[in-house]
Amino acid sequence: MNTAADILFGGLFQGSLYAMMAVGLALVWTTIGVFNFSHGVFMMLGAYLAWQFVAWGLPAYVAFPLAVAVMAGAGWLLQATVVRPLIGRANLVLVVVITTLAAGSLIENGALVVWGPRSKQVPPLLEGNIALGGIGVSLHQIAIIVITPIILAALWFFLTRTRLGLALRAVAQNEDASRLVGLNVTMLYALAFGIAAALAALAGIFLGGYRFMTPVMGADPLLKALIVVVFGGISSISGPIFAAYVIGFFEAICSYYFGLYWTPALLFAALILTLMVKPEGLFTSGRSRGLA
Amino acid sequence: MSAAELTDAQDRRAPAGAAPVGPGRLPWRREAVAMLVGFAVLALLPFVFTDSYSRHVLIMVFIYAVVASNWDLSLGYGGVFNFGHIALFGIGVYAYSLLTKLAGMDPWIAMAAGGVSAVVAAVAVTIPILRLKGIYIILVTFGFAQLVMQVIISQSEYTGGTQGLVRIPTLYVFDHNMVRDAKFAYFYIALGLLVLSTVFLRAFVRSRAGISIVALRDNEEYAVSRGISLVRQRLITLAASAFFTGVAGAFYAAYQRNASVEVFGMSLATIILSMVLLGGTGTIYGAIIAAFVLTVFSEAMADFGAWRPMITAVLILVVMLAYPGGIFGMLKSATGVFSRRWSPPS
Repeated sequence: MNTAADILFGGLFQGSLYAMMAVGLALVWTTIGVFNFSHGVFMMLGAYLAWQFVAWGLPAYVAFPLAVAVMAGAGWLLQATVVRPLIGRANLVLVVVITTLAAGSLIENGALVVWGPRSKQVPPLLEGNIALGGIGVSLHQIAIIVITPIILAALWFFLTRTRLGLALRAVAQNEDASRLVGLNVTMLYALAFGIAAALAALAGIFLGGYRFMTPVMGADPLLKALIVVVFGGISSISGPIFAAYVIGFFEAICSYYFGLYWTPALLFAALILTLMVKPEGLFTSGRSRGLA
Repeated sequence: MSAAELTDAQDRRAPAGAAPVGPGRLPWRREAVAMLVGFAVLALLPFVFTDSYSRHVLIMVFIYAVVASNWDLSLGYGGVFNFGHIALFGIGVYAYSLLTKLAGMDPWIAMAAGGVSAVVAAVAVTIPILRLKGIYIILVTFGFAQLVMQVIISQSEYTGGTQGLVRIPTLYVFDHNMVRDAKFAYFYIALGLLVLSTVFLRAFVRSRAGISIVALRDNEEYAVSRGISLVRQRLITLAASAFFTGVAGAFYAAYQRNASVEVFGMSLATIILSMVLLGGTGTIYGAIIAAFVLTVFSEAMADFGAWRPMITAVLILVVMLAYPGGIFGMLKSATGVFSRRWSPPS
């Protein structure tokens, strides 16, 4: 029974983390049509801010939301400085890749100067461990598995049931028409980046609570988020969320049967194969703006 | 007027088989003279800089310039967002290292083999992206680069895994001592590589094949309707951009005498990509100039520690925001001697 429990728990946990990492990236892509390559660095910065606030003596239930709020502002700032001035350039996607990479490098090295290279750890969401189905798991991991779907559901509700969320999706579908009906496109861009950065910060706090954090901790999650978004299809928010869990389970199964070393190679091989057969992603129907 | 229309207009004038000559295009003789002068100046540099550190910086400039200018061929001219370009460099590094160290191959032959391996890899990665466009090409080629890296890490009994390889056999020139000449021989080998690569790239982009890939980039439907094969030209573009990249990787391994998976990392990719974009895409020369500027700039700030990458990042941001045409576009508008036809894609 341990095998099944291992795979089930590992898949759910990794899937939740990947979903948190990828959903912000997908949100920015679907609204603005650019890939934010500083998304991983934002996870790092969110985790470090949370750590800093806790170190200043704030209780975790104040420090974590505060870090998330500050990061939302940072997302807005990034958008205003290195993304919005470029809107309208013909090679926008490529230029934004390089400007967000450069901005990420700036933040990453800034964090190194401010906090130093020594690894730190954010306090976990919940302390302690329990045995579940024959395997030992930490309450922090359980909390991530429970909280992630709640946040994703809230995001889904926001995007499909509120006026502001609908406006965001309208911009994603047709920017010119949105402008014509009077939507403030500039403000909505800023909002998308702000929400994405807040989600990244939350993912960073999740990560920082169960493994040590360093200024370069964002690189690997960014890569994973990119894979998730590609797998899921880059035209919707829900595609990457399903894909995150699929990949979580794929990795859990692979690392159980083929070992940890082969898992990334198998994952990439599956990714390339998926794109050859279904370039628009696994969980999409119809064409997206990415196929332009 | 798009390049596709230009090609069309030129087709009627040019004799069959000849590369069309556009209006305002720098005549090849003038370009050849300018190139000769430029490389002659570079060839004299070791007599000015006699210490091995300055020569080391210049050698790194040449290696980066080869990789960046070849990337400009696929990215700037071909419009193919090949984010696996650095992997081609890494494949050159590892092909050379494994062939000389484990198979005992002659270093010079292994260097050529590094280039050929990169070409084979480029063809392999082009096949899945033949149907794809834009961001999907970025993601597949990025995935390809990661896949190559993971395979190298997992085969640690041959490749050394994350530890990398050390004591790789280096190049030889007759009985010349490569170690005690303050990098004199390495400098000229690196320069020779840059000369060969640049002549090849400029000849390629001025040829009919080069013009046809620009036509495909600017107006794919029209270019295809004029009988240009997207599949064939994309394969040719990626393969052409791979050879000297792989050779540069092999030379890098021979020069550093070690190989590590860091050559596949994001930081190297970011630096080289900044060179391509800072220099101005679709120029070849822009990438070479930017390689020089960025490398020397970064070396000059070696004392700044963690501030160095931050200053470099700010420099990249400022140039990208203020000068869409990159450094080459900046120079061009400042001097006005270069023809309009060279303007990078907007």
